[in-house]
Amino acid sequence: MRNYENLVIVKPTLTAEEIQASVKAIEEVITSNGGEIAATSPMGMRKLAYPIEKNERGYYHVIYSSIAPSAISEIERRFRINEDLLRFVTIKYDTNREKAAFNGMVEKAKKAAEAPKVETPAVETPAAVEAPTETPAVETEAPVATEAAAE
Amino acid sequence: MAEKRKYKKRYCKYCEAKVDFMDYKDAGALRFSLSERYKIMPRRLTGNCKRHQDMISVVIKRARAAALVPYTVTRKHVVTAPFENLK
Repeated sequence: MRNYENLVIVKPTLTAEEIQASVKAIEEVITSNGGEIAATSPMGMRKLAYPIEKNERGYYHVIYSSIAPSAISEIERRFRINEDLLRFVTIKYDTNREKAAFNGMVEKAKKAAEAPKVETPAVETPAAVEAPTETPAVETEAPVATEAAAE
Repeated sequence: MAEKRKYKKRYCKYCEAKVDFMDYKDAGALRFSLSERYKIMPRRLTGNCKRHQDMISVVIKRARAAALVPYTVTRKHVVTAPFENLK
C-alpha cells in the first residue's frame, strides 16, 4: 500500500446535491479497489486558471488515501469514464519526506473537517452593513447643500 | 562589465525558510517563482538553488495540470487575478 492523493474537479453545472453524490461515487471507486481513505478535504467551487471543456469554474475535492500501486491504473480508468469529472490529478507520496508531508496534510484535512461545526454568529453582520450605508448618505447630502449655497 | 546585470544574484529563499516540501495546491506560494506571464522563472533571476528549483518546477507543473495556475497568458486570454480564490 502506498500513499496517494487524488485531486478531482467536478463539473460546476451540476447541482450541489449531484456534486456530493458524484464525490461519493468517486470515493467509492477508490474503496472498491482496495483503497483506504485517510482524509478528504473539499476545496469548494473555484475559478479555474483556464477553461476546461468550456467551464470557467469547477468544484475541487481532494482525497488522501493509501492504495495498492497496481490498483491505480484501474481507478484512473474509472475516472476517465466518469463524465462528471473535468480533471483529476493523482500524486504519489513515496519518499520519507513526502510521507511526512502527507501525514501532515491528512491531519490538517481532518482538523478542517471538524472545524466548520463551530459557526460564527451571523447576527453581527447586518448591523455592520447598516452603519456604513447611513454615514455616506449624510456625507453626500452635505456637499450638495454647500454647492447650492455657493450658487 | 559589458552589460549591466538587471537582477542581483540572490540567495535561495527556500533554503532560508528551510522548505522541505511544497504543496501544489497552495498556488499563492508558487507566485514567487512565476513570471508575470506565469512562466517558471529561471534560477539565475530568482536565486533559487538547484534542489529547490527542481522541486518548484515539478510543483508548478502539477498545479498547471490541476488548473490552479495557468499554462500561458496571452493578450486574448488574460487571467484576471488567478490567486483571488485564496485568502
